[in-house]
Amino acid sequence: MSAPAPSADDMKQWLKAVAGRQDRGAFGLLFEHFAPRIASFMERSGLSAAEAEEISQETMIAVWRKAALYDPAQAGVSTWVFTIARNMRVYRARTAARANAGVAALRELPTRLEASVEDMALASERDARVRRAMATLSPEQATVLKLSFFAEKPHAEIAKELALPLGTVKSRTRLAMAKIRAILEREL
Amino acid sequence: MINHHPSDLTLARLAGGTLGAGPQLVVATHLSGCSQCRGRLRSFEAVGGAMLDEAAPARLRPDAFARALERLDDADPRPEPQPRVLHPDLPPPLNAYEIGPWRFVRPWFRWRRLTLPEAPDANVIMLKVAAGRPVPHHGHSGTEYTQVLTGSFTDSLGQYRAGDCIEVDEEVSHQPVVDPGGECVCLAAVEGKLRLSGWIGRLIQPLIGI
Repeated sequence: MSAPAPSADDMKQWLKAVAGRQDRGAFGLLFEHFAPRIASFMERSGLSAAEAEEISQETMIAVWRKAALYDPAQAGVSTWVFTIARNMRVYRARTAARANAGVAALRELPTRLEASVEDMALASERDARVRRAMATLSPEQATVLKLSFFAEKPHAEIAKELALPLGTVKSRTRLAMAKIRAILEREL
Repeated sequence: MINHHPSDLTLARLAGGTLGAGPQLVVATHLSGCSQCRGRLRSFEAVGGAMLDEAAPARLRPDAFARALERLDDADPRPEPQPRVLHPDLPPPLNAYEIGPWRFVRPWFRWRRLTLPEAPDANVIMLKVAAGRPVPHHGHSGTEYTQVLTGSFTDSLGQYRAGDCIEVDEEVSHQPVVDPGGECVCLAAVEGKLRLSGWIGRLIQPLIGI
Protein backbone atom coordinates (compact mmCIF):
# COMPACT_ATOMS: atom_id res chain seq x y z
CA MET A 1 0.00 0.00 0.00
CA SER A 2 2.72 2.48 0.90
CA ALA A 3 5.18 3.87 -1.65
CA PRO A 4 8.93 3.46 -1.12
CA ALA A 5 10.13 5.73 1.65
CA PRO A 6 11.11 9.17 0.35
CA SER A 7 14.70 10.25 0.94
CA ALA A 8 15.63 13.03 3.34
CA ASP A 9 16.51 15.19 0.33
CA ASP A 10 13.13 14.56 -1.33
CA MET A 11 11.42 15.75 1.82
CA LYS A 12 13.54 18.90 2.00
CA GLN A 13 12.66 19.70 -1.61
CA TRP A 14 8.95 19.21 -0.96
CA LEU A 15 9.01 21.37 2.11
CA LYS A 16 10.91 24.06 0.20
CA ALA A 17 8.24 23.98 -2.52
CA VAL A 18 5.54 24.37 0.13
CA ALA A 19 7.38 27.28 1.73
CA GLY A 20 8.35 29.03 -1.51
CA ARG A 21 5.24 28.69 -3.69
CA GLN A 22 2.51 27.09 -1.57
CA ASP A 23 2.86 23.96 -3.73
CA ARG A 24 -0.11 21.72 -2.87
CA GLY A 25 1.30 18.83 -4.87
CA ALA A 26 4.44 18.83 -2.74
CA PHE A 27 2.26 19.16 0.36
CA GLY A 28 0.35 16.07 -0.84
CA LEU A 29 3.58 14.08 -0.97
CA LEU A 30 4.51 15.15 2.55
CA PHE A 31 0.99 14.35 3.72
CA GLU A 32 1.11 10.90 2.15
CA HIS A 33 4.29 10.05 4.00
CA PHE A 34 3.73 11.71 7.36
CA ALA A 35 -0.01 11.86 8.09
CA PRO A 36 -0.57 8.08 8.44
CA ARG A 37 2.67 7.70 10.40
CA ILE A 38 1.88 10.52 12.83
CA ALA A 39 -1.50 8.90 13.42
CA SER A 40 -0.04 5.46 14.17
CA PHE A 41 2.65 7.05 16.33
CA MET A 42 -0.01 8.86 18.39
CA GLU A 43 -2.09 5.73 18.74
CA ARG A 44 0.95 3.94 20.05
CA SER A 45 1.41 6.65 22.65
CA GLY A 46 -2.07 6.01 23.97
CA LEU A 47 -4.51 8.20 22.01
CA SER A 48 -7.69 6.86 20.42
CA ALA A 49 -7.72 6.42 16.63
CA ALA A 50 -9.91 9.52 16.26
CA GLU A 51 -7.67 11.68 18.47
CA ALA A 52 -4.58 10.36 16.72
CA GLU A 53 -5.99 11.29 13.33
CA GLU A 54 -6.93 14.74 14.59
CA ILE A 55 -3.35 15.34 15.81
CA SER A 56 -2.09 14.16 12.45
CA GLN A 57 -4.38 16.70 10.70
CA GLU A 58 -3.33 19.51 13.02
CA THR A 59 0.33 18.66 12.57
CA MET A 60 0.14 18.62 8.78
CA ILE A 61 -1.67 21.96 8.73
CA ALA A 62 1.05 23.36 10.99
CA VAL A 63 3.65 21.95 8.57
CA TRP A 64 1.93 23.91 5.78
CA ARG A 65 1.82 27.12 7.82
CA LYS A 66 5.30 26.89 9.31
CA ALA A 67 7.15 25.53 6.26
CA ALA A 68 9.07 28.79 5.84
CA LEU A 69 10.37 28.48 9.41
CA TYR A 70 12.01 25.12 8.74
CA ASP A 71 15.78 25.42 9.01
CA PRO A 72 17.75 22.51 7.52
CA ALA A 73 20.73 23.52 9.65
CA GLN A 74 18.74 22.62 12.78
CA ALA A 75 17.12 19.28 12.00
CA GLY A 76 16.01 16.88 9.29
CA VAL A 77 12.43 17.21 8.00
CA SER A 78 11.25 14.08 9.84
CA THR A 79 12.69 15.35 13.12
CA TRP A 80 11.08 18.75 12.57
CA VAL A 81 7.69 17.18 11.85
CA PHE A 82 8.12 14.92 14.88
CA THR A 83 8.66 17.91 17.19
CA ILE A 84 5.55 19.65 15.80
CA ALA A 85 3.44 16.53 16.35
CA ARG A 86 4.83 16.11 19.85
CA ASN A 87 4.08 19.75 20.72
CA MET A 88 0.53 19.31 19.36
CA ARG A 89 -0.03 16.36 21.65
CA VAL A 90 1.37 18.13 24.72
CA TYR A 91 -0.57 21.26 23.80
CA ARG A 92 -3.77 19.26 23.50
CA ALA A 93 -3.30 17.56 26.85
CA ARG A 94 -2.50 20.84 28.57
CA THR A 95 -5.30 22.77 26.88
CA ALA A 96 -7.67 20.25 28.41
CA ALA A 97 -6.05 20.74 31.81
CA ARG A 98 -6.25 24.50 31.41
CA ALA A 99 -9.92 24.40 30.38
CA ASN A 100 -10.69 22.48 33.54
CA ALA A 101 -8.90 25.02 35.65
CA GLY A 102 -10.24 28.05 33.80
CA VAL A 103 -6.85 29.64 33.20
CA ALA A 104 -6.53 32.02 30.29
CA ALA A 105 -2.98 31.95 28.99
CA LEU A 106 -1.05 29.07 27.49
CA ARG A 107 2.54 28.73 26.47
CA GLU A 108 4.23 26.48 23.95
CA LEU A 109 6.54 23.71 25.00
CA PRO A 110 9.73 25.64 25.67
CA THR A 111 12.08 23.48 23.67
CA ARG A 112 12.72 25.91 20.86
CA LEU A 113 16.02 27.07 22.18
CA GLU A 114 18.67 29.23 20.66
CA ALA A 115 21.10 27.11 18.68
CA SER A 116 24.73 27.70 19.49
CA VAL A 117 27.43 27.43 16.85
CA GLU A 118 28.32 23.89 17.90
CA ASP A 119 24.64 22.84 17.79
CA MET A 120 24.51 23.96 14.16
CA ALA A 121 27.67 22.15 13.18
CA LEU A 122 26.21 18.90 14.51
CA ALA A 123 22.75 19.30 13.04
CA SER A 124 23.52 18.43 9.43
CA GLU A 125 24.99 15.04 10.38
CA ARG A 126 22.75 14.22 13.29
CA ASP A 127 19.89 12.43 11.57
CA ALA A 128 22.09 10.02 9.63
CA ARG A 129 24.18 9.32 12.72
CA VAL A 130 21.15 8.63 14.90
CA ARG A 131 19.72 6.26 12.29
CA ARG A 132 22.97 4.33 12.08
CA ALA A 133 23.08 4.08 15.87
CA MET A 134 19.48 2.90 16.12
CA ALA A 135 20.15 0.10 13.65
CA THR A 136 22.73 -1.36 16.05
CA LEU A 137 20.48 -1.49 19.16
CA SER A 138 19.57 -4.84 20.71
CA PRO A 139 15.84 -5.63 20.95
CA GLU A 140 15.94 -4.86 24.68
CA GLN A 141 17.65 -1.50 24.13
CA ALA A 142 15.16 -0.65 21.40
CA THR A 143 12.27 -1.43 23.75
CA VAL A 144 13.75 0.71 26.53
CA LEU A 145 14.26 3.60 24.12
CA LYS A 146 10.74 3.33 22.73
CA LEU A 147 9.09 3.20 26.15
CA SER A 148 11.30 5.99 27.48
CA PHE A 149 9.76 8.12 24.80
CA PHE A 150 6.12 7.12 24.90
CA ALA A 151 5.28 5.71 28.28
CA GLU A 152 3.70 7.96 30.89
CA LYS A 153 5.32 5.75 33.52
CA PRO A 154 8.38 4.41 31.70
CA HIS A 155 9.76 2.26 34.50
CA ALA A 156 6.51 0.43 35.11
CA GLU A 157 5.93 -0.18 31.41
CA ILE A 158 9.49 -1.28 30.71
CA ALA A 159 9.16 -3.74 33.60
CA LYS A 160 5.95 -5.11 32.13
CA GLU A 161 7.22 -5.37 28.56
CA LEU A 162 10.54 -6.98 29.48
CA ALA A 163 9.03 -9.07 32.30
CA LEU A 164 11.47 -7.65 34.85
CA PRO A 165 10.79 -6.95 38.51
CA LEU A 166 10.24 -3.22 39.06
CA GLY A 167 13.13 -3.22 41.53
CA THR A 168 15.72 -3.99 38.85
CA VAL A 169 14.17 -2.04 36.02
CA LYS A 170 15.62 1.32 37.02
CA SER A 171 19.21 0.20 36.84
CA ARG A 172 18.50 -1.75 33.64
CA THR A 173 16.96 1.34 32.09
CA ARG A 174 19.90 3.47 33.17
CA LEU A 175 22.33 0.96 31.67
CA ALA A 176 20.42 0.65 28.43
CA MET A 177 20.17 4.43 28.05
CA ALA A 178 23.88 4.80 28.78
CA LYS A 179 24.61 2.22 26.09
CA ILE A 180 22.33 3.99 23.63
CA ARG A 181 24.09 7.26 24.35
CA ALA A 182 27.50 5.63 23.94
CA ILE A 183 26.43 4.34 20.54
CA LEU A 184 25.14 7.77 19.54
CA GLU A 185 28.37 9.39 20.65
CA ARG A 186 30.56 6.82 18.96
CA GLU A 187 28.76 7.62 15.74
CA LEU A 188 29.90 11.25 16.02
CA MET B 1 31.50 24.58 34.37
CA ILE B 2 28.42 22.40 34.63
CA ASN B 3 28.99 19.04 36.32
CA HIS B 4 25.51 17.64 36.88
CA HIS B 5 23.03 17.07 34.07
CA PRO B 6 19.55 15.59 33.62
CA SER B 7 19.53 11.83 32.98
CA ASP B 8 19.18 10.31 29.51
CA LEU B 9 15.75 9.02 30.47
CA THR B 10 14.64 12.54 31.38
CA LEU B 11 15.90 14.01 28.11
CA ALA B 12 14.23 11.19 26.15
CA ARG B 13 10.97 11.94 27.96
CA LEU B 14 11.36 15.65 27.23
CA ALA B 15 11.97 14.84 23.55
CA GLY B 16 9.00 12.48 23.49
CA GLY B 17 6.68 14.94 25.22
CA THR B 18 5.96 12.73 28.23
CA LEU B 19 7.85 14.68 30.90
CA GLY B 20 5.50 16.50 33.28
CA ALA B 21 5.13 20.28 32.99
CA GLY B 22 6.98 21.10 36.23
CA PRO B 23 10.06 18.93 35.59
CA GLN B 24 9.98 20.11 31.98
CA LEU B 25 10.40 23.72 33.07
CA VAL B 26 13.28 22.84 35.40
CA VAL B 27 15.05 20.86 32.67
CA ALA B 28 14.39 23.56 30.05
CA THR B 29 16.04 26.06 32.39
CA HIS B 30 19.06 23.77 32.56
CA LEU B 31 19.12 23.45 28.76
CA SER B 32 19.14 27.21 28.30
CA GLY B 33 22.59 27.24 29.89
CA CYS B 34 23.97 23.87 28.75
CA SER B 35 24.83 23.37 25.08
CA GLN B 36 25.90 19.80 25.80
CA CYS B 37 22.39 18.87 26.91
CA ARG B 38 20.86 20.80 24.02
CA GLY B 39 22.87 18.52 21.76
CA ARG B 40 21.68 15.45 23.67
CA LEU B 41 18.07 16.63 23.40
CA ARG B 42 18.47 17.15 19.67
CA SER B 43 19.83 13.62 19.32
CA PHE B 44 16.77 12.27 21.11
CA GLU B 45 14.50 14.40 18.92
CA ALA B 46 16.27 12.91 15.90
CA VAL B 47 15.51 9.48 17.39
CA GLY B 48 11.86 10.60 17.40
CA GLY B 49 12.13 11.63 13.75
CA ALA B 50 13.60 8.24 12.82
CA MET B 51 10.86 6.42 14.80
CA LEU B 52 8.26 8.49 12.96
CA ASP B 53 9.68 7.49 9.57
CA GLU B 54 9.67 3.86 10.60
CA ALA B 55 6.16 3.82 12.07
CA ALA B 56 3.69 1.54 10.29
CA PRO B 57 1.24 3.85 8.49
CA ALA B 58 -2.22 3.97 10.09
CA ARG B 59 -5.30 3.77 7.91
CA LEU B 60 -6.74 7.27 7.79
CA ARG B 61 -10.27 8.30 6.88
CA PRO B 62 -10.58 8.30 3.07
CA ASP B 63 -11.18 12.06 3.04
CA ALA B 64 -8.23 12.86 5.32
CA PHE B 65 -6.22 14.72 2.69
CA ALA B 66 -9.27 16.54 1.30
CA ARG B 67 -10.13 17.74 4.81
CA ALA B 68 -6.59 18.99 5.35
CA LEU B 69 -6.65 20.85 2.01
CA GLU B 70 -9.86 22.59 2.98
CA ARG B 71 -8.25 23.94 6.09
CA LEU B 72 -5.02 25.20 4.52
CA ASP B 73 -6.40 28.64 3.73
CA ASP B 74 -8.04 29.16 7.09
CA ALA B 75 -6.48 31.83 9.19
CA ASP B 76 -4.29 30.43 11.93
CA PRO B 77 -6.71 30.27 14.84
CA ARG B 78 -3.94 30.11 17.32
CA PRO B 79 -1.22 32.67 16.77
CA GLU B 80 1.78 31.73 18.82
CA PRO B 81 1.81 33.58 22.09
CA GLN B 82 4.82 35.79 22.46
CA PRO B 83 6.02 35.24 26.02
CA ARG B 84 6.64 38.50 27.83
CA VAL B 85 9.79 38.78 29.87
CA LEU B 86 8.65 39.36 33.44
CA HIS B 87 11.94 38.65 35.21
CA PRO B 88 14.95 39.86 33.18
CA ASP B 89 17.31 38.57 35.88
CA LEU B 90 16.24 34.94 35.38
CA PRO B 91 17.25 32.55 32.57
CA PRO B 92 14.98 32.40 29.48
CA PRO B 93 12.39 29.67 29.99
CA LEU B 94 11.80 30.92 33.50
CA ASN B 95 11.64 34.64 32.98
CA ALA B 96 8.16 34.67 31.42
CA TYR B 97 6.34 32.92 34.25
CA GLU B 98 4.47 34.54 37.06
CA ILE B 99 6.23 34.03 40.34
CA GLY B 100 4.66 34.69 43.69
CA PRO B 101 6.26 36.71 46.49
CA TRP B 102 9.02 35.29 48.66
CA ARG B 103 7.69 33.67 51.79
CA PHE B 104 9.69 33.06 54.91
CA VAL B 105 9.62 29.66 56.55
CA ARG B 106 12.66 30.30 58.74
CA PRO B 107 14.79 33.43 58.86
CA TRP B 108 17.32 31.59 56.68
CA PHE B 109 14.91 29.89 54.34
CA ARG B 110 12.49 31.39 51.82
CA TRP B 111 10.45 30.04 48.95
CA ARG B 112 8.19 31.33 46.18
CA ARG B 113 5.86 29.54 43.86
CA LEU B 114 5.74 29.63 40.05
CA THR B 115 2.41 29.56 38.27
CA LEU B 116 2.25 27.51 35.09
CA PRO B 117 -0.93 28.50 33.24
CA GLU B 118 -0.60 25.43 31.02
CA ALA B 119 -0.42 23.09 34.00
CA PRO B 120 -2.19 24.43 37.09
CA ASP B 121 -1.40 21.26 39.05
CA ALA B 122 2.34 21.49 38.46
CA ASN B 123 4.45 22.27 41.48
CA VAL B 124 7.45 24.40 40.73
CA ILE B 125 9.03 26.48 43.43
CA MET B 126 12.07 28.62 43.91
CA LEU B 127 14.01 28.18 47.14
CA LYS B 128 16.47 30.53 48.78
CA VAL B 129 18.59 29.19 51.62
CA ALA B 130 21.22 31.19 53.52
CA ALA B 131 24.94 30.31 53.47
CA GLY B 132 25.93 27.37 55.66
CA ARG B 133 22.35 26.35 56.35
CA PRO B 134 21.10 22.79 55.95
CA VAL B 135 17.91 21.87 54.27
CA PRO B 136 16.09 19.51 56.69
CA HIS B 137 16.66 15.79 56.28
CA HIS B 138 14.22 14.28 53.89
CA GLY B 139 13.23 11.41 51.62
CA HIS B 140 11.15 11.53 48.46
CA SER B 141 8.02 9.98 47.08
CA GLY B 142 8.78 10.79 43.44
CA THR B 143 11.60 12.01 41.24
CA GLU B 144 12.64 15.49 42.23
CA TYR B 145 14.36 17.88 39.80
CA THR B 146 16.43 20.77 41.07
CA GLN B 147 18.30 23.37 39.06
CA VAL B 148 20.82 25.58 40.89
CA LEU B 149 20.34 29.20 39.81
CA THR B 150 22.89 30.92 42.05
CA GLY B 151 25.24 29.82 44.83
CA SER B 152 26.00 26.20 45.62
CA PHE B 153 25.21 23.39 48.02
CA THR B 154 26.69 20.04 48.92
CA ASP B 155 25.20 16.70 49.91
CA SER B 156 26.54 13.18 50.29
CA LEU B 157 26.50 12.78 46.49
CA GLY B 158 28.57 15.84 45.63
CA GLN B 159 28.68 19.59 45.22
CA TYR B 160 26.15 21.42 43.06
CA ARG B 161 26.82 24.82 41.59
CA ALA B 162 24.94 27.36 39.47
CA GLY B 163 23.94 25.65 36.21
CA ASP B 164 23.87 22.14 37.67
CA CYS B 165 20.71 20.05 37.49
CA ILE B 166 20.08 17.39 40.12
CA GLU B 167 17.66 14.57 39.63
CA VAL B 168 16.98 12.49 42.72
CA ASP B 169 14.52 9.64 42.93
CA GLU B 170 12.61 8.36 45.91
CA GLU B 171 15.20 5.83 47.02
CA VAL B 172 17.71 8.51 47.86
CA SER B 173 17.60 10.24 51.18
CA HIS B 174 19.92 13.20 51.17
CA GLN B 175 20.72 16.19 53.29
CA PRO B 176 21.84 19.19 51.27
CA VAL B 177 23.77 21.96 53.03
CA VAL B 178 24.35 25.33 51.40
CA ASP B 179 28.05 26.12 51.02
CA PRO B 180 29.56 28.87 53.20
CA GLY B 181 30.24 31.28 50.32
CA GLY B 182 26.75 32.76 50.05
CA GLU B 183 23.04 32.07 49.79
CA CYS B 184 21.78 29.55 47.27
CA VAL B 185 18.78 29.91 44.98
CA CYS B 186 17.30 26.81 43.32
CA LEU B 187 14.39 25.96 41.11
CA ALA B 188 12.71 22.67 42.05
CA ALA B 189 9.85 20.50 40.83
CA VAL B 190 8.52 17.05 41.60
CA GLU B 191 6.69 14.72 39.25
CA GLY B 192 2.95 14.85 39.63
CA LYS B 193 1.25 16.51 42.55
CA LEU B 194 3.09 17.80 45.53
CA ARG B 195 3.52 15.03 48.05
CA LEU B 196 3.83 15.82 51.66
CA SER B 197 6.52 13.27 52.24
CA GLY B 198 8.81 15.02 49.74
CA TRP B 199 11.23 17.54 51.17
CA ILE B 200 9.57 20.48 49.49
CA GLY B 201 6.24 19.36 50.87
CA ARG B 202 7.65 18.94 54.36
CA LEU B 203 9.11 22.41 54.24
CA ILE B 204 6.16 24.34 53.00
CA GLN B 205 3.44 22.23 54.53
CA PRO B 206 3.33 24.23 57.78
CA LEU B 207 3.08 27.45 55.83
CA ILE B 208 0.32 26.74 53.37
CA GLY B 209 -1.57 24.49 55.71
CA ILE B 210 -2.06 21.45 53.49
